[in-house]
Amino acid sequence: MDDSTTAVLAIMTLVTTLVFTAASALPRLKVTLRPQPAYNKMPSMIGNAIESDRPLHISLGSAGIGGESTVLAVAVAELAYQLAKRATIGDTSPLLTLSNASAFPLAQDTLRRAYQSRGMLAQYSPLSARWYPAGERSLAFAAALTTLIPTENISGSVLAGSYGIEIGLIMDASQRKNQLVIGTSDQLDGQAVAYVLGGAPLIGEEVFTAGAYLEGEPGSLRVPLTIDALRWVVIAVMLIGLLVTLGD
Amino acid sequence: MRVRLWAALASAVTFGIGLLVLIGLTVNEALLESTPFSPRLANDLRGVVDVILQLTTITIALTILIGILNLLLVHLQRLTHRASGMIYSLVLLLSFGLVVILAIANRDESLVLLETVQVSVESALAGLLFVALVYGAYRMMRHQVTWRNTLFVVVLLLVLIAAVPLNNMEAMQNFRDWLMRTPVSAGARGLLLGIALGTLVTGVRVLIGIDRSYRE
Repeated sequence: MDDSTTAVLAIMTLVTTLVFTAASALPRLKVTLRPQPAYNKMPSMIGNAIESDRPLHISLGSAGIGGESTVLAVAVAELAYQLAKRATIGDTSPLLTLSNASAFPLAQDTLRRAYQSRGMLAQYSPLSARWYPAGERSLAFAAALTTLIPTENISGSVLAGSYGIEIGLIMDASQRKNQLVIGTSDQLDGQAVAYVLGGAPLIGEEVFTAGAYLEGEPGSLRVPLTIDALRWVVIAVMLIGLLVTLGD
Repeated sequence: MRVRLWAALASAVTFGIGLLVLIGLTVNEALLESTPFSPRLANDLRGVVDVILQLTTITIALTILIGILNLLLVHLQRLTHRASGMIYSLVLLLSFGLVVILAIANRDESLVLLETVQVSVESALAGLLFVALVYGAYRMMRHQVTWRNTLFVVVLLLVLIAAVPLNNMEAMQNFRDWLMRTPVSAGARGLLLGIALGTLVTGVRVLIGIDRSYRE
């Protein structure tokens, strides 16, 4: 495939997505989302954190701005915003951790906006967003979080972002403290480990639909609708390709 | 009203720069040859995009300094508040100071310290990971035996058995190869496709300025 074909395909994909994003806003249909155990458990996790006066821990892993995981970092920031917004009514601030420094301003801004949305900006502490530098294998980050969980007396963890198999160490440390932990990763090995060790894992694109599940405002509901519409387009293209191949 | 004006301005800047970078990265000379635009436009656009990307790289580099400051402040606060586990904070601050002094005095020695201490500790941790995963699988079965959990453990055992280098295991090895080539590969591609679709939709929302971070 030459550069021109790639460019045309990229533009076509973008235009298709734009059309679906705009079209899904037109009909005022009542949207029913399919049940999602991970999102169903999150409100009770926040409730536990508030009642026990312990911090809720949300982590972006190595998702950062400026690389392949930029959009993932933005999506996880939305998830963190939804959780932090609810958790801010408690006395203890939620903790947001990350290993990619480029996402640090995003993390701080997410927490700040969560407090601002409740009119509680005075309670916001920039130190609630924490950067833990990671080595090549992110094991240093995993080690830091396994220490953070007992020392900060974390009530539960949502690990959403970019992780390798080291997510297993963090989830194991949480579960040893009988804490609920929800994990998801854009890396296949990290996702596999999160599925096995987590009580209610998020899989694949589900992390991008946090706003729709946790808030349900019309703007956020367009995301799962558009993803589903695009999924059917991809399926149709695959089937047409298969039929054409079989016909030749 | 002031906040709304800033939000509109942020959306406009994001949309403008995002679109410019997108066009600059996708449009090339060959694509413009069949249009009324001059093919040189692609080179000009690429030049502008390169400047924007360089600015982005410099900004990202600065965030490391902010991160280091945050790390030091968090651990200083833990020490001054005598928080539980403050010994870890003390070790971190001392290590930080030691590495900075070593880097100023002799950069090579500081790299040796990194190689010998951090790599060894991380390798030990990687070894522990296997135990954590096996224990996790055990705990999963103890917590609830479902058909999914059972399928996971059975497949895991079959793959592990097939990896044993013994004679008369061709059938098992063929089964493992088929497993990795067909269902595992299909599942992995499905997952990646889903992530790609999610990324595309979220990316477009950011690009056209309807993401929450620009509205508030």
